[in-house]
Amino acid sequence: MSGSLPITSPVDTETYLAFQNLLYKEARLLDNEQYEDWLEMLSDDVHYYMPMPARYNRDEKDTGRQALEANIFNDKKKHLQLRVDRFRTNFVWSENPQNHLRHLISNIEVFPGDIKDEWKVLSIAMVYRNRLDGEERRMIVSRTDVWRVEGDTVKLAKRNMVFNHAVVPDSNLNVFF
Amino acid sequence: MNKLDVKQLVDNASGRQSRLIFHEQQIYDQEQEHIFGRCWLFLAHESQLVEPGDYFRTFMGEDEVLVVRQKDKSIKAFLNTCTHRGNRICKADNGNARRFVCNYHGWSFGPDGSLTGVPLEEDAYHNQLDKSKFGLKQVAQVASYKGMIFGTFDPQAPSLEDYLGDMKWYLDVWLDAMPEGTELIGSAQKVEYPVNWKLPVENVCGDGYHLGWAHAGVMTVASSMNIDSLSVGNTDIDSSTAMSVTGMNGHSVLSTLDGYAGYAFYPEPQKAVDYLDANRDTVISRLGELRGKQFWGSQINFTVFPNVQMLPGLNWFRVYHPKGPGKMEMWTWAMVDKEMSDDLKQMILDNVCRTFGAAGMFDNDDGDNLIACTTQNRGWQTRHQDIYTNMAMGKEHSRPDMPGIISDGLIGEQNQRFFYRRWQEMMSATSWDEIPNYNNLEEARATEKN
Repeated sequence: MSGSLPITSPVDTETYLAFQNLLYKEARLLDNEQYEDWLEMLSDDVHYYMPMPARYNRDEKDTGRQALEANIFNDKKKHLQLRVDRFRTNFVWSENPQNHLRHLISNIEVFPGDIKDEWKVLSIAMVYRNRLDGEERRMIVSRTDVWRVEGDTVKLAKRNMVFNHAVVPDSNLNVFF
Repeated sequence: MNKLDVKQLVDNASGRQSRLIFHEQQIYDQEQEHIFGRCWLFLAHESQLVEPGDYFRTFMGEDEVLVVRQKDKSIKAFLNTCTHRGNRICKADNGNARRFVCNYHGWSFGPDGSLTGVPLEEDAYHNQLDKSKFGLKQVAQVASYKGMIFGTFDPQAPSLEDYLGDMKWYLDVWLDAMPEGTELIGSAQKVEYPVNWKLPVENVCGDGYHLGWAHAGVMTVASSMNIDSLSVGNTDIDSSTAMSVTGMNGHSVLSTLDGYAGYAFYPEPQKAVDYLDANRDTVISRLGELRGKQFWGSQINFTVFPNVQMLPGLNWFRVYHPKGPGKMEMWTWAMVDKEMSDDLKQMILDNVCRTFGAAGMFDNDDGDNLIACTTQNRGWQTRHQDIYTNMAMGKEHSRPDMPGIISDGLIGEQNQRFFYRRWQEMMSATSWDEIPNYNNLEEARATEKN
């Protein structure tokens, strides 16, 4: 029960707000290109996964996909680090001048995780990117996270993402979601 | 509609192109008819259509087609449009179907494209509809070359084998290296670019020039092997072990000749290198010393005119679907040898996605450049300024041990010139009878028009 209402909340308000703030902080770090600080928020064994979307008929939804499927991200920390290292070479011309990048985080739900000290956090990220002049992209990504208590902090252990576009509408996906 | 005089748009002798060819709707429409309406276009890989009824939805130019495996194991392809009122029949990317039913009025078509069912046929059509005349429109010719299924709308087009010509000798370095052949992994990675379809083709078909500069960021951090011929930066490039090959009816090859460089951009290439070492003798026995030792495993860019590119080593396979003069969709797959272990396939797949996928560290460099090469042509003054692929002209030569027209090194613009020459030949001709056939320097010179 939440207060006097007959609504059951999976976690207490304090926990919910803590995760909401954490996701907002993460979004701010990404928008500000503080990628090293962002990497610090990730567990060393993080799995950052976004399969490539495909459209099957409903009755073949489960049988249509193959054992090996393409992805947009299937990264461990070292691969994410590689992407950041590339950016830091200052040779990535498509990021110069700096692009306007904004993560709008919404639909946050927090649940206790499958094991102790883990939390399952759902959210939707709308990512807005403005390159030059009127060149703008908006992308919607649904995220299912596992955040884990590690020592005196909480780190992202898993992020499974659904990219909600059948065709990727951006050719310069130099962004994290 | 009056045909355009395309002679003025491309000049082979000076390597000149008019920028109008990246912008004008009329030129684009003529490309749909003369190039995408005539050439053999990639439809699907045999590995994607295993069982009867397996289908794959794709495009030939802007025409949407369904490619379907038949009961007798042959392949047919049809326009994905109902013959009644024109609705799209199949909406899924791929799957298996016993029939295709139109959502509009319920007409149903068999896997062979024949019209099999019409609701209220007796009551509403009074049995006056000749169903045999309303089958799906078939793609005129469909054929396979070592796993790759192609189709052409033109019944007069030469055979696929003749269309590919001497390019087959090079394609076999991937398609026929191992006994089991190749397969594509998973669904297509589709990315929309506000880019004219010819620009990515020229970028990959012969442009080794941009590698060290446009991709300097990723090449600084991702290169795991010390490959001289792919060295970073604008200096110290040793291109002595690399070459561009073209002629061959507009198809082309760009390659190092070291037998390993294809895997130079894998963070941990060892698994792939082990695979090369373990199978090198097999490949040499199948393809001979030159192709088995020097080509297999090298960085190679294959281009099949007009819009197919495949890079063994980096292991991607790609088709560009035009969507108007200023837009295209790029479909990329990981392509692997069937014999590879699942472990190695997964590693290759992940590397394809990281380098040339939607969030690929190489592709993200190209997008920004190619977008601007397209959109700048909105300016009237700008698009009336010509551009050139005139690097190292007149350096073409032949070799007795391999087909095609050859220029040394990865850095040159020979392949791009032949791509635009072929573009012009297709655009000018009124039928296949007027399109020259050339596979070597002598034939190419004899058939040169300007």
